[in-house]
Amino acid sequence: MKHVLIGTALAAMAVTGASAQEVSLGRFFGACEDAGTDTTTSVGEACIIQSIINAADAELDGISVNTLPTDWGNYYDQIIAAYAGGEPPDIHVMHRHRVPQFAGLGALAELSGDLAAAGIDVNDWAPAALDAVSYEGGIYGVPMDFHANLWHVNMEIMEAAGLVNDDGTPILPTSPEELLAHAAMVEEATGHDYLAADFAQFPIGVRLVLALMWQQGENIFTEDGTATIDTEAARNAVTAITQLFDAGHADPQLNYADSQQAFLNGEAAVLVNGTWVVDFYDAEAANPDVALSDYYVADFPTLFDEGATWADSHMWAIPASLQRDDPETYQAALRVLAFINDHNIDWARTGHMAVRNSVLASDAYAGLPHRDEYAGTAAIARDTPASDSYGAIQDVLNRELQAIWLTGKSLDDALSDAELEVQDLLDG
Amino acid sequence: MTNQRRGKRGLTQTQAAAILLLPFLAVYAAFLVYPFFRGVWISLHDWNLLAVAFNPDAREFVGAENYVRTMWGRNMEWGLFASPVMQTVGVLGIGLALLGYRAGRLTRSTALALGIAGALFFLLPGFHPGEDGRWYDRRFWPTVGNTILFVALAVPGVTVTALILAAALDGETRAKAVLRTLFFLSQVLSVTVVTLIWQIMFSPRQGLIANVTEALGGTPVTWLTNEQFAMAAIVITTIWWSLGIAMILFLAGIQDISKDIYEAAAIDDATGIKAFWYITLPNLKRTVTLVVVLQIILHFQVFGQAHLMTQGGPNDSTQVLVRYIYQTAFRDSELGKASAMAVFLFVIMGAFSVVQFVVGREEE
Repeated sequence: MKHVLIGTALAAMAVTGASAQEVSLGRFFGACEDAGTDTTTSVGEACIIQSIINAADAELDGISVNTLPTDWGNYYDQIIAAYAGGEPPDIHVMHRHRVPQFAGLGALAELSGDLAAAGIDVNDWAPAALDAVSYEGGIYGVPMDFHANLWHVNMEIMEAAGLVNDDGTPILPTSPEELLAHAAMVEEATGHDYLAADFAQFPIGVRLVLALMWQQGENIFTEDGTATIDTEAARNAVTAITQLFDAGHADPQLNYADSQQAFLNGEAAVLVNGTWVVDFYDAEAANPDVALSDYYVADFPTLFDEGATWADSHMWAIPASLQRDDPETYQAALRVLAFINDHNIDWARTGHMAVRNSVLASDAYAGLPHRDEYAGTAAIARDTPASDSYGAIQDVLNRELQAIWLTGKSLDDALSDAELEVQDLLDG
Repeated sequence: MTNQRRGKRGLTQTQAAAILLLPFLAVYAAFLVYPFFRGVWISLHDWNLLAVAFNPDAREFVGAENYVRTMWGRNMEWGLFASPVMQTVGVLGIGLALLGYRAGRLTRSTALALGIAGALFFLLPGFHPGEDGRWYDRRFWPTVGNTILFVALAVPGVTVTALILAAALDGETRAKAVLRTLFFLSQVLSVTVVTLIWQIMFSPRQGLIANVTEALGGTPVTWLTNEQFAMAAIVITTIWWSLGIAMILFLAGIQDISKDIYEAAAIDDATGIKAFWYITLPNLKRTVTLVVVLQIILHFQVFGQAHLMTQGGPNDSTQVLVRYIYQTAFRDSELGKASAMAVFLFVIMGAFSVVQFVVGREEE
């Protein structure tokens, strides 16, 4: 009996040892130390994604997933350097806006022939999700979400300012003039700022201005690569925001952490931030130690002619080199992607919008906190035209807009400088 | 040294020296000399980092185009009053060099260095885009200016603070030994830890500085997002971080000064600050030069503080050269242009190394 036991143990070790296929995984979203393997209870982007990865590591036979240490702010620099050095991770997360840059060079594996065999049903993806991972007729990734800018609202402040409808929803502005008027009402009733957002560091302010340009039917550059920033639409969009700074209803100097803190401390009626924090703010609002208690999520309001808010998608990709040179690891990587695809509902718990029709139609999805409050966002989701220089263009806009509200650069100078620089980038 | 004595194992001194130097030279050649020339070579190409990784033929020799695209512009002109402040400083520098050399106050090489620096200050800022002209890269020269400003603030900051601390902490009491260790401790931290500590310190909401300001009835300063304070914030962080080595060098220098001089001075009633001014300081001249030049070379390479604390902002006011090189190479994949900027940085730091070499020789 003893021999049998030892023999079985040895055989088991030999089997797992021989077939444990290691898959390296690169991602942003931040670190979560003790995510565990329970994908249904974790809170926040970092912990939810890590619990899904841990679960894949535990549940997929013969596959071990190794999450590489990467830093959010430098993520794409690291991924580019890894590709240039010939050792990219076997799977990595990316945004849809990076697809032209990476797929255009042949860096990403074209997956359309292998997805079905791996258990990923492309037909279950929402059309916009399929579109997000497609490039020149091929499929270069597995989509995970749509994310967009929302208005996170402190209903207590709105109530005090008389900005609540009979049905309990907040009254949001429908024009730049109304925006200013509402801000004045909040100021008068509570002494608090109306609007908080990261205007000082990450490009949340850029996304705000972009949304207000799209709402006027304009964009920062055209499909054929002409920069159109020094325009009336841009002036209107920027002025809609700077009027709040000028009147003291918003503070342009808060960065991401500080603006979020201001909102949670109950010092601002509205925080402009993405879908990724809905579950986190919801959990914070339930915490009696946090000033924010009555939390509501609203679609980005339409201040001009048509609805629009900045949006993007997270997706998972596999390097072309892996598909070509290492079929075993490639198959293992596909199984991990299938696992992530199967857990789309868990990821949607962050607040992101799901990509699979079956999930979107499910009761579990509809029952997620605040989900019904921003149901209109999917229809108004927008982004700039595709470009290899997306990251650099965002940086130019971020710099010039910050120059306007942080350093007093004149609107005309900033917009004409931004247009020149973006045109240079587009001309490449 | 012409009679080379043979050692026990039959090696001449030269041979022994060669063998001992070989490992260093091999590593130096492989990891410094080769990459440097490779960098210069890349800077002469249109070289996309990602594209070349997938297709080695995707690079193209373009000569000096990367340098032109970085440092020059369209319809450039030279004007006497294009940048009056810098150009006046340049003229003053030239004048000072001439006068100083005539009066015998400056040695020939110092006067020459000052004269050349003055001429550069006079000539270079005079270039500006004429009508309908523009810089090809609007951000490069302001970035160079920010880097120089950072060096100009951080180097005296570190030097003076370290010198004062060294003078105060020189001695054998237990408290001084503990304080010396404490002040040195910040030096061993990595840039990530240092910037994390100071981001919390500077935070207008939770930060220590904000809390103190509020307790005193003031409004907290938004250090990292205010154009007037952002550079100061990263300079303060840098001084705190890189104090240690300078302090140790000064302590070593101070302990080298003979106690007899202090005793003699004490008889003439020169103690405390007087003794520091008239004895310690003049005797530390060489150490000061060493510390200053080392700091200049070190701080021209500033990256982490600006990258992690302010992301170069607001409005590029803390954008520094190495961060710009990093972004150009890894965010924009423009390895050729990034290498051209790196070569430029090398020339600046090389110039300061030459200054150190010349000053060091003069004093011998």
